[in-house]
Amino acid sequence: MIPYRKKTLANGLTVVVNRDRQSKLAAVNILYRVGARDEAPGRTGFAHLFEHLMFRGTRRHPDFDRPVQMASGDNNAFTNNDYTDFYITLPRDRAEVALELESDRMEGLDITPEKLATEKRVVIEEFRQRYLNQPYGDQSMLLRALAYRVHPYRWATIGLTPDHIAAASLSEVEAFYRTHYRPSNAILSLSADLDEERMFDLAEKWFAPIADRAVERPPRPAEPAQTEARRQEVERDVPATTLSIAFRMGRRTDPSFQTGDLVSDLLAGGDSGRLYRRLVKERRLFATVNAYVTGDLDPGLFVLTGQLLPSTSAEEAEEALWGELEALRTDPPSDYELEKVKNKFEANTLFGELNVMNKAMNLGFYELTGDLELINRETALYRAVGRDAIARFCRETFRPACSSTLLYKASR
Amino acid sequence: MKTTDKFPHTARQAASLACDASLPAGFPAASPADPASGSPSLGLAPAQRRTLPNGVALYVLAADEFEVLRTTFVFRAGSTRQRVPFSASATANLLSEGTRDLSAAEVAERLDYYGSWYDVSIDRDYVYISFAMLSKFARETLEVAGQVLLHPAFPEREVATYCAERRQRLAIERTKVDVEAREAFARALFGARHPYGISSDERAYDTLTRDEIEAFYRRWYTADNCFVVCSGRVGEAEIAAVEAIASRLVQGDGAAAPRFPAPATQHEVRVAHPGAVQSSIRIGRLLFPRTHPDFVGMQVVAAALGGYFGSRLMQNLRERNGYTYGVVAAMVNFERAGYLAIATQVGTEVTQAALDAIYAEIERLRTEPMPDEELALVKRIMEGEMMRILDGPFGIADVAIENILCGTDNGAIERNLAAIRAMTPADVQRLAARYLAREELVTVVAGDS
Repeated sequence: MIPYRKKTLANGLTVVVNRDRQSKLAAVNILYRVGARDEAPGRTGFAHLFEHLMFRGTRRHPDFDRPVQMASGDNNAFTNNDYTDFYITLPRDRAEVALELESDRMEGLDITPEKLATEKRVVIEEFRQRYLNQPYGDQSMLLRALAYRVHPYRWATIGLTPDHIAAASLSEVEAFYRTHYRPSNAILSLSADLDEERMFDLAEKWFAPIADRAVERPPRPAEPAQTEARRQEVERDVPATTLSIAFRMGRRTDPSFQTGDLVSDLLAGGDSGRLYRRLVKERRLFATVNAYVTGDLDPGLFVLTGQLLPSTSAEEAEEALWGELEALRTDPPSDYELEKVKNKFEANTLFGELNVMNKAMNLGFYELTGDLELINRETALYRAVGRDAIARFCRETFRPACSSTLLYKASR
Repeated sequence: MKTTDKFPHTARQAASLACDASLPAGFPAASPADPASGSPSLGLAPAQRRTLPNGVALYVLAADEFEVLRTTFVFRAGSTRQRVPFSASATANLLSEGTRDLSAAEVAERLDYYGSWYDVSIDRDYVYISFAMLSKFARETLEVAGQVLLHPAFPEREVATYCAERRQRLAIERTKVDVEAREAFARALFGARHPYGISSDERAYDTLTRDEIEAFYRRWYTADNCFVVCSGRVGEAEIAAVEAIASRLVQGDGAAAPRFPAPATQHEVRVAHPGAVQSSIRIGRLLFPRTHPDFVGMQVVAAALGGYFGSRLMQNLRERNGYTYGVVAAMVNFERAGYLAIATQVGTEVTQAALDAIYAEIERLRTEPMPDEELALVKRIMEGEMMRILDGPFGIADVAIENILCGTDNGAIERNLAAIRAMTPADVQRLAARYLAREELVTVVAGDS
């Protein structure tokens, strides 16, 4: 349970605060409603590149990090397909430093051609380090491109190619900044042992003076329904073959989301999950196996993935994964099994609430979904999932015609 | 929700050298509360220590305001203790894969049912077996803990499954330049046969037997080789349950610990990785463990070089030149050794330029005094880092463990803090000049050269 209060400033900025009673730290999180899904197909990777540029200084604070560090604070950021998130933790009596800096870079960013050029090189090195110079580095990219044809989820946050990053121009960067970095497109969330009114006052003090801009955002293309199974095989210089099967499912706010997430836990939540017990331990077909939901704001994916042992053929592996999906129907979860995955969710929620940073970040995310109250209602929603809902979810989701299968073959 | 493929793209890499060596629970020391700036005190209450009849020390850090608790059993049973490759890590990782009374599946079922976390980590010197649980499920979780710690069965079949998976995992890991460089760096610092330097062929998993694993367990998972730390909401009932486990650990037979030969350092190593688009670089040198009087000072030197975003190396390699996504430097502590390490991955075509830049930054520390403001900043950062680690019951346990392993107590935090605060620009320069001469440095590059 995270007690919170929420307020919207006159300029449209949403502010959510949580009074934590334990920590000596304050967490300040600011989320912008812009991610890789808002990029043009010829400029993928742009939202993430821009996130990097947000650390390149403003006219007032040429070095963003230094004031944070002088306050014994720490800061970082990430970008995903749906949003961009910036966060700072620092001693709670220095919280104002974070608010000042975030308000400053919401409108005062100072991007020069030199800074842009250097940051492009950094991001291209990140592209290489994480995707091009890693075994299986392109696997998730291939799976996205297979499962989505039209929607921007077909590319990863890092982008389709380093060329798109290299081509980004200063005027595009400026336009992106004006379009997406403004009060009504942001959510500020705080968690600290500070009076709630004090946190609201600080937000007002530093953000109210920033004027909002009305901006038109083009609609995203909707992904058409999938009507036939898709399949791709690639060969790479890696030691082991992997198999992934992705199914289309609803968005994070869809009423069936919790059911889908529980199904992924039945299959792969911890070492007692069905896939691990049966396919790794009992049948020894896979070295590792996993199931997860992407939980995106637009309709997302349910993914099964496994790394084959050398003695397992691709056909056997594929049959085994489908067999476990079938078994959800023929051997439905017992009361005990359902209770287990629900307990696990509840425990993980509690562990997550130990930390001010997690709380501030989650408040921002749930507000982004449009249903902030869900943050404290969600455990009850998981508790309410029954066998019927699970059967329905499986029936609707695990259809061959809605599957995308990627076989990533080891050439060694 | 679990792991998804939405890998968060952090703008700044929180790269860590932790995998190199024994758990630096972050910076072990921090600067003290600065009255002028009003930052809160970092003082950590001393752990309550009790000694059980079999000699096991139990440390308790009670924090009733949380609804969770964690207990960690630390054994001196890291890889330096093994005679057979991978037997130390296999023992640690297979403890939960079947016990006298519970199958592997039952252990997993029970831990998952109560939403408890079970974690095993191992380094060259130690093994850390941790259980984190909701306080309301402490009894049930600790029942499983007793089975795992006291009665592991190491079933043949589980051993075989484990070895096949690990062999494959290691083979995959070793296709990464970063892993190649890390392993080669340990060999270069200590020598390829030294307990701190050795890396074994993954095929050694094929011949590892359950008997070797069981023998390792009997020899090293003993009362005289263990201590326990509990933190969070720990009442008398929970302490009694942990004591019941710890007091049943048997005494060891005193078999000899492995020999520690003198390190045989090699200064320049290249690992060829044709086709790599980035090179992985490690630069550093063997120094001393945490007990040495200059260790804390060298942590300040390392932090200034590459311990934070905006450090000298980060500014040079990333901010000015765009050679890399990230670069870090840290002091790494083992029980009987310690070293400085700088790690980065850079574009293949700028490898030499990056090496030159790293050497130049080191040289600059040796020849020019650090500006006062920069040193003040580094101290603040180290203080903040410590505050973050100590925020919450689990981080507190990590710091307490680190202090115990160094033969000290939580008072070390304030003492190290004082030592850091006392550092002057002249101290930084003196340490850099004394310990980081170019001819002493070890350089490893894995990549397409």
